[in-house]
Amino acid sequence: MSENTSVTEQTNHRFLASTNHDEKARQDFVRSYKEYLVKNIHAGNRERYEKTIKPKFEKSQNREPGDRFEVRDLMVKDPYYQMFSSLLRTSQEMMWSSCQIPVEKRFTALNEEIHLSNGESNQGTLKLDENLEVPRYHKAVDIHCQPGGYHSEFGENDASPGMVYDRAVHIYAMGQMGPFNDDMGASIVLWLKENHPDFKPLRILDLGCSVGHSTVPYCKAFKNAEVHAVDVAAPMLRYAHARAQDMEAPIHFSQQNAEKLDFPDGHFDLVVSHILLHETSGKAIQNIISECHRVLRKNGVMIHAETPPYKGMSPFDAFMLDWDTRNNNEPFWSRSHEIDLDNLSKNSGFDLGKKIETLIPSAFQIEKVKRSEVFQGGDFGGGGQWFIYGNWK
Amino acid sequence: MDRVLKRKAKGERPYFFEDPNVDKLVSMIMGLAGETSVLMDRVDTIEQLLEKKGLLKISEIEGYEPSTQVLESRANRREIYLSEILRIIEIELEAESLEDNAPYSSAVKEVEEG
Ligand SMILES: C[S@@+](CC[C@H](N)C(=O)[O-])C[C@H]1O[C@@H](n2cnc3c(N)ncnc32)[C@H](O)[C@@H]1O
Repeated sequence: MSENTSVTEQTNHRFLASTNHDEKARQDFVRSYKEYLVKNIHAGNRERYEKTIKPKFEKSQNREPGDRFEVRDLMVKDPYYQMFSSLLRTSQEMMWSSCQIPVEKRFTALNEEIHLSNGESNQGTLKLDENLEVPRYHKAVDIHCQPGGYHSEFGENDASPGMVYDRAVHIYAMGQMGPFNDDMGASIVLWLKENHPDFKPLRILDLGCSVGHSTVPYCKAFKNAEVHAVDVAAPMLRYAHARAQDMEAPIHFSQQNAEKLDFPDGHFDLVVSHILLHETSGKAIQNIISECHRVLRKNGVMIHAETPPYKGMSPFDAFMLDWDTRNNNEPFWSRSHEIDLDNLSKNSGFDLGKKIETLIPSAFQIEKVKRSEVFQGGDFGGGGQWFIYGNWK
Repeated sequence: MDRVLKRKAKGERPYFFEDPNVDKLVSMIMGLAGETSVLMDRVDTIEQLLEKKGLLKISEIEGYEPSTQVLESRANRREIYLSEILRIIEIELEAESLEDNAPYSSAVKEVEEG
């Protein structure tokens, strides 16, 4: 037994779909399987590359592979990489399936519980917009292979994609985002408190909040603030509202496209997003940053958490971090990691002198969790750091 | 069970081996490994509960010496188990020894003309 498999469990809440013995065991297996890949299988790709594949290329070409595309053309032919990829893709599919099973079993009852609770809510609000169009970049493929994506509805008042997602994120991150899956939000909060102790936001907006994993920490940390969170996907928001109620976090959820918000100009002190940008599109990113600029007050700040850009990475590292683009239904992952952040800020009217671009430490530093400390496909949170990009206005 | 949710994520599924069936086998094997793991956890739960209720000591399982009869029946069960798994290889040998190696089209022809 390795010490690395020390288990941090997801904290239960009223709306986390319950699992019977075998359903839980099935989910536990997927997590162990993913941990095993990270710990024992993943590194073999680098070894194959460094010891065999790269030297062979150098011998015939008299130079190193120049970029991640050349590395890709070599690696996709390698049997070890093929098996690794096949195993990793399979783990992703098994993850979703193992999280769907307990939800499907009590589909109607679970949805009714959430609907009822949302109807009686006395903390925060939920505002849905039937007419909001789900953006093309979400309908082209089901992002990171969740069948139906964030937005599909499988019944009336459906919150099931949120139920499936809540559980799956914990398995996907192998617990590395903490018992509430809230590490990205918690890490930005920590960074703000340590680096800008005088900044006390009174209105906060979280873009692309999904089930509100990252939103809740802002509520807890800035008790006087009014916290808003938007997403395009109604099923996520229904679940998010119920979950936030149970966690006593008064959040105002509304179904909106972050490219075109209905908040007034200069309304917010702090606008954040967590792994939203890479799931949009080239045009959408620019639109979102422009909206951030519009809804921020002067001296307010926007902060976006992502995995780090490829800039400065070795072609091999960039290739491995890029795995998800083709293999985990993340069509915009590549491009989003190569975007010129200076231009992004500048085009939206931000002052580049007030730009933020840095790696921040993860707030979830529980001792038991030993990370790989690598940014790589299939090892979300393994880096132990988050990349943030942002700008003060 | 009612499968209400979608099972396939929209988007062309990547296959990594030249023959996609190899990827499919990987998926099946990991599916089986998962279900076996579920079973192992269940057996463990049973053992833990039995011990808690004082009906069994887990150390007794380690010290358990099966009788000849039990050994025999287990060996039989394992043989059937293995023959089920390895059938695909064995039937090839069987075909050879029975000279059952004519192309299928010849059987069609034989039946049609016979
Ligand atoms: C990876 S999830 C975000 C996870 C979440 N922020 C967290 O930290 O737990 C991306 C979310 O962004 C939403 N989304 C994508 N494009 C959007 C847009 N243009 N406006 C609002 N939400 C969007 C999706 O519906 C999805 O729920």
